[in-house]
Amino acid sequence: MTMALDAKKSCRETILYRDVLWQLVRQQLVLRYRRTIFGYLWTLMNPIFMMSVTAIVFANLFKQDLKTFSIFLFSGMIPWNCYSAIVTQSGTSFIYNEGLIKKIYLPKIIFPLSTSIGILIDSLLSFVALFFIMLALGSQLSWTLIFIPVAFALLFLFSLGIAFILSVSTVFFRDLQHVIGIVMQAWFFLTPVFYKNNAIAGKVAWLIKLNPLTYYVELFRCPLYLAKFPGIDVIIYTSAMSMLSIAIGWAFFLYHEKKIVFRL
Amino acid sequence: MSKILIEDLMVNFRIYHDRSPSLKDYFSNLFKSKNGSAYSDFAALKHVSLEISPGQRVGIIGHNGAGKSTLLKALCGIYPPTMGRIQLEGRVAPLLEIGAGFHPEYTGRENIYLNGSILGLKKKQIQAIEEQVIEFAEVEAFIDTPVKYYSTGMYMRLAFSLATATEPDILILDEVFAGGDASFVEKAKNRMLNMIDKAEIMIMVSHDHNLIRTLCNRFVWVDHGRIVADGDSEEIIDRYLSGSVPPLEGN
Repeated sequence: MTMALDAKKSCRETILYRDVLWQLVRQQLVLRYRRTIFGYLWTLMNPIFMMSVTAIVFANLFKQDLKTFSIFLFSGMIPWNCYSAIVTQSGTSFIYNEGLIKKIYLPKIIFPLSTSIGILIDSLLSFVALFFIMLALGSQLSWTLIFIPVAFALLFLFSLGIAFILSVSTVFFRDLQHVIGIVMQAWFFLTPVFYKNNAIAGKVAWLIKLNPLTYYVELFRCPLYLAKFPGIDVIIYTSAMSMLSIAIGWAFFLYHEKKIVFRL
Repeated sequence: MSKILIEDLMVNFRIYHDRSPSLKDYFSNLFKSKNGSAYSDFAALKHVSLEISPGQRVGIIGHNGAGKSTLLKALCGIYPPTMGRIQLEGRVAPLLEIGAGFHPEYTGRENIYLNGSILGLKKKQIQAIEEQVIEFAEVEAFIDTPVKYYSTGMYMRLAFSLATATEPDILILDEVFAGGDASFVEKAKNRMLNMIDKAEIMIMVSHDHNLIRTLCNRFVWVDHGRIVADGDSEEIIDRYLSGSVPPLEGN
């Protein structure tokens, strides 16, 4: 009951402080490329070049056709990078904003939320970059691409729930910021980004099957690479996981948010 | 009508004796008895009750570490109450640490918008005060330069001008009369007095007792997290200054 009241209050406050939220998002997006020649264009150029380098290296390494392999790879890298960045960067969002939190009242949720929204915007731009790459490579653009916004929404909710939990937990246990980095590295190898879903057999196959990210990657890979909609079972499973993650993450956050300022 | 009501407020801090607990400590402590734990709770405010109505200018006095700033921070919502209740009615302007939300890489103008929104202003309200803030701070020539290139004085002037550009119902001040060259100090003081005049409630912490005597009409003496004296007589300041032992459970 109190939790429901807290949730309502938290929503109302977030709306009240939405200008601060956007200011923080803007700060994150704009400051990175300030005083560079290409400025904000880097947000598009960065993913294009990063993805191209990776694609060329691995297409050669795996002896794959560059065109198909790059689309295969990018459609996995975009969701993975988005998830990984949200989880890692939100983890330290309170620690980096300690000065602000101790000096003025702001609803705590806007810190991990602004970090996550900033990364989501970056990922959407990466997707635009990928779109241009696909056009340049002359690949068929399927109408199933209309599923991509849904895929982003589901991925974002899933990531945000985990981000809420880790942002608070890191304040209590500073070791976590390093642990997260290591866990994400292991998690990356258990996620079919460089390889196909069914390509790996053997001892870790069950882990890959258990890994929720496997299915989020599929949400992107089906429309982008296979030009088809993801299976209904995958959509139901990921929707359920996203709801679960955001519900648990938000509840955890609301329960602990009042202690944050005392532990910074 | 604005109002402040504090009922039986407690704010506890957790003091770590050597360092903040690591994950390892946490898990190893799970299996140990709680005796000799790495932290203790420290009550910064103990059972504080205070009711402030419009027209009151409250000056809070007390030694360093008595809980004055904690009380103001609790009022601003920075420290949530461990126990008790705080009720505020009216638009609050917290002037605790001006320029707290400034980002060094942002230009002066961008910081006006960033900090303005942190202070609770809407974009339109900020647009309305923007020119006036820049003019008062005397930073016209540098307003589109990142504030990390500002001199300390320029930085302070901009932060002060912005923080004092609104007309709140409740004004919360923590030692903000400071800094800048002589001409600016004079100008700033007038602006501050004007702001205090227009506020319905003002509550301030200062070690400048003459300032408190001039500005306030109610004096609250805080010692070891408790209110030991509260009233409209300047005699409270005299007693505090003469170093007399605070009466037990005043009021």
